[in-house]
Amino acid sequence: MADLLSHVLLAFAAFTAVGWVISWLDRRWVTVGMVGSVVPDLNRIDLLADDYFIEQFLGVSFDWGAIHTLGGVIVVSAAGAVLFSTRRQQVRVFCLLVAGGCSHLFVDGLKAWADGSNGAYLYPFSWWRNPTPGWYVSADKWVLILSLVLASGILLVDKLAT
Amino acid sequence: MQRRNRLLFIVVFLAGVAVLCVHYGGVYDRNWPHPSGAQLADEPGGWDGEQVLLFGTVTETTEEGFVMAVKTASGDTARILTVYKDQTEAKSGGLVQVYGELSNRGTIQHAESVVVVNEGPDDSQYKLSVSAVGILVAAGAFLRYWGIDWHRLQFYTRAQSGDDDG
Repeated sequence: MADLLSHVLLAFAAFTAVGWVISWLDRRWVTVGMVGSVVPDLNRIDLLADDYFIEQFLGVSFDWGAIHTLGGVIVVSAAGAVLFSTRRQQVRVFCLLVAGGCSHLFVDGLKAWADGSNGAYLYPFSWWRNPTPGWYVSADKWVLILSLVLASGILLVDKLAT
Repeated sequence: MQRRNRLLFIVVFLAGVAVLCVHYGGVYDRNWPHPSGAQLADEPGGWDGEQVLLFGTVTETTEEGFVMAVKTASGDTARILTVYKDQTEAKSGGLVQVYGELSNRGTIQHAESVVVVNEGPDDSQYKLSVSAVGILVAAGAFLRYWGIDWHRLQFYTRAQSGDDDG
């Protein structure tokens, strides 16, 4: 995965640009998409309670990695959407959280893997691994720089346009 | 939505996340085309002659490549492999992915491709630090436009845009 700040900045840029053609997608909703881009990395909860610890505790196989998949993003997004008041807000939040999560998985799908294929991010729908162009590894600092430049450019254009 | 119903839905969805993690953990090894550290420890020669992808920590660099330790989920060393690869940037202490043919009961790998994920502990620290900033940026931006009603256990929109979203 790229660092989380890059994901958040790229989501900001993407959702702000989409907001130019979808009238209701203002900055308030863009921030929901930004939060969505964080969702797949909730699997890093394994830094506090790793898979092995949970497995020993529950007595069954367990892998936080499920959150870093399409299925995980959908279920976590549903839990997040419930925290909003009206039905319309809940639908919008759910869609934006899922879209933000998918933007994260898409960017992760471009990184380098030694066997040339990405992780199985379509779980539980498929175990297919997309061929990856291998553009970066997660510690590459240029990814963050590029994300900063892109987000700043989009912010500037957005300010000028409104 | 009433607070009680909201809590119920959240519990149901979080239980769904737990079920997903249990299922994923249970079927992962059957669906992942490469051996895990635990599988390699249980059946060291099981993948000899096959092209496999392994994750490991470089413990030593050599003239022909490097030596890496493949670990199990519990952190135990499953296998120490001598990896043969010309012109690799792997350094001692780094985390690498290696794709190549295994031999000699899983102790030798002729690498076709090596990806250095972390050159060392500093890279890992960098990613964690920058990611923590990412969480703060996302949370800060969100809370600028949304408030928390603890009593109703819900977010409410701070009156700014005047947009009626229902």
